[in-house]
Formats: sequence, C-alpha cells, structure tokens
Amino acid sequence: MKETAFYDPTNFTFPAGCYICEVEIDPDTGKTEIVQFTASDDFGTIINPMIVEGQVHGGLVQGIGQALLEQAVYSDDGQLLTGSYMDYTMPRADDVPSFQVSHESTVCPGNPLGIKGCGEAGAIGSPPAVINAITNAIGHENISMPATPSKVWAAIQASNFKQAAE
Amino acid sequence: MYEVNYHKAKDVKDAVKLMGKAEDGKLMSGGQTLIPTMKQRLAAPSDLVDISSIADLKGVKVEGGKITIGAATTHAEVASNKKLQKACSGIASLAGHIGDPHVRHKGTIGGSIANNDPAADYPSAMVALNASIKTNKRTLSADKFFVGMFETALNEGEVVVSVSFDKPKKSAYAKFPNPASRYAMAGVFVAKLADNSVRVGVTGAGADGVFRHKGMEKALSAKFNADALAGISVAEDDMLSDIHGDGAYRANLVKVMAKKAVNAAG
Repeated sequence: MKETAFYDPTNFTFPAGCYICEVEIDPDTGKTEIVQFTASDDFGTIINPMIVEGQVHGGLVQGIGQALLEQAVYSDDGQLLTGSYMDYTMPRADDVPSFQVSHESTVCPGNPLGIKGCGEAGAIGSPPAVINAITNAIGHENISMPATPSKVWAAIQASNFKQAAE
Repeated sequence: MYEVNYHKAKDVKDAVKLMGKAEDGKLMSGGQTLIPTMKQRLAAPSDLVDISSIADLKGVKVEGGKITIGAATTHAEVASNKKLQKACSGIASLAGHIGDPHVRHKGTIGGSIANNDPAADYPSAMVALNASIKTNKRTLSADKFFVGMFETALNEGEVVVSVSFDKPKKSAYAKFPNPASRYAMAGVFVAKLADNSVRVGVTGAGADGVFRHKGMEKALSAKFNADALAGISVAEDDMLSDIHGDGAYRANLVKVMAKKAVNAAG
C-alpha cells in the first residue's frame, strides 16, 4: 500500500518589520561601532513579550555577527584556520549596543491565536541594516560580509571617503 | 591534556634543580599560555615546575628613579600598583588591558616576556623602556633578550627573576586588538626616557615579533608630538599578514597606534 499526503495551509504567517542601524566608523582603523540599533516588528499576537524581545535580541546579535565578525576560513589545502575563538570572532556583549525593540501587533488571520513567527526575524533584518549603514558611511557599496576592520579600511582607501557630518 | 608531573618550586635554585631532573620540563608561572596549549595537546612537557609562588620573584618596587618588577608579579598587580601608576603610567595601563580579569590575576610579566608571543603586550614596553631583564645567571638588555617569534636569549636552566628600568619622563601604550582573540594586532609603546631620548616598541604587527621603529624614534626625539609621525613610513613587507589583516593594514595600524600612544603620553 502506498499513500502520499500533502498539506498546504490556506495561509502562511508573514511577520514584517523594519530595522534601523546607525554606525560610526573610525577611518584610521576601519573599526565599525554600532551606536544605535532599532528594531520594530509585527509578530501578531504576542503571548510573552519578554521571551519575544529576548528572541529578537539574540537574532540581532547573530545577524550583527554575520555582518561584522563571523567567518569560517580555510587554507588552500583545506585546513580550517578559524578553528578556535582565537581566530573565529563570536559576537560578544561589547560588540553590540543596547537595542531599542518595539512591536506592532496586527493579528494574523491564518491561525486561531493570531500569532506570527519571530524566531529568525532579528537575524534576517540585521545584516542588511548593518551593511547598508556601512556602505552609506564609506560612500561605496563594494564590501562583503563580514565587514571586518581590515576590509572596511581597505574599502575606505579605495573610495572618495569624506568624513561624515554630525 | 597529557599526563604531567607537577612540582612547586620553593625558590629559584629549587626550580633549576627540578628542571634539571625533568626529562622535558617546562617552567610555569601563571600558565595562561602554557596550560591552554597543553590542553590542546600542542605541548606535552613531562614536568611542570611552578615558580609562581616564589616570594623573591614577586612585587613591584619604585625606588628613586628606578622601577623593578618581579618576574612572578601578575598583570593585575602591575596594573593596580599606585606607585607604578604614578612613576610609569604606560606600563600600568598596558597591564590593565591584557586579556581578561582571569588572565590578569594569573598571568605574570616574567611568563609573558619569556614566552615572547609576537602579539603579547609586555615585550613592546620592555624594549621601549630600555629595560634590563635579570635572570638567575646574568642581566640582559631587552634589545638582546627578545630574539624573534616565541624566541628569547634565555638558555637552559635560566630563569627570569625581574625586569627593571629607569622611570621614564613620559610613557603610553596603545593597541588595536584582534577582533577575535583580543591580542594586539598592533600595539605601540612610546617612552620618553630620562635622558630625553624616545623609544618606540611595536608588538603584534611585526613578522619577527617585537621591534623598535627607529624612524619614529628619531622623529619623536626631535619633536614629541603626533604630527611628527606624519611623514614616517612603516614597511609593509616586515609586517605579519593573516586572515585578520594584511601587511598594508598592519603597517597602517602601527602608525595609527603610535600617534594614539604619543597623544596619550601627552
């Protein structure tokens, strides 16, 4: 006997949000400091606001790690060069600012609780916000993740960098 | 970690004796580099001779214009010593920014300079302050003590006892930490010595470990001001190059940190 079943829910949940990142870059060293980060999300009905906020914080830090710090590097002969935290840059508390997190709540029509997913939101929205802030600051878009100080410095050298106004 | 015999030395003589008896012994002070290295099985000494509780090796002395720091003095003790903060703020502040609190309360100045990690902070201060390194056998200048990466002039059976230097007129240290390890990617110690000569010690950046930048020394001796460094070049080819930054980036950091140190020294 053979049976195949396929479930196609009538409606997915679509969380939406907007993330705004402000950076300050030291043109001498290429070091980026995130001075302000604001995240606003619509997760539908929120059952436990504290857990949701914590989830967003964790996601933001992971995304900032991806944008600025974390990378797995292999040598030409296949040896992992970032095999310990001496070389792999895990984001730490002093790499991130105090986040401003807020919520809108548009009840989701697709399920009885009116809820939407929130687990990945922080990690999805933060890398583009960080990188857009950097490209805006240095005046050109040719920068790949992670935007390490040495990469940002090299990008500044290659651009017509003007010191940002206040 | 592999099996190892642990010995606690009573004094320096005892340490030398214990080392002589060991098949492949290692002196240990704070163990902040050695123990992690052993845990990763990158080092496997047969015996550890712990010299960290030898009283003669501990303490900071500021007498007249002379500063002496015992080899087994921890970074935390160097950082928090009030007399030293006054006599040589550069080295006290350097010690206060090594690693993290755990490292600073275990790690020692003698251990740091004997290991001569190319990214360690202390070697730059030693060469910039024209320090003398006293061992159980002789006294060496810092210039002669540091030979290359992880390499010193120390012979077998030789133990660092203390470091001493004259109180400088001005001193400061500035480092750019590696984003991952937070060791120095470039650390520059600038000192204006009692005779008005200026010395510049650079760590973290050089391909052969700590070095003095004679061009900067000359410029700063003429005028102790960050502007004096404007025309100075740092050779890219002499720099380390790795996944965190190439030679050009490190050469730039050396200059930027040197300016920062000069400004901090005032």
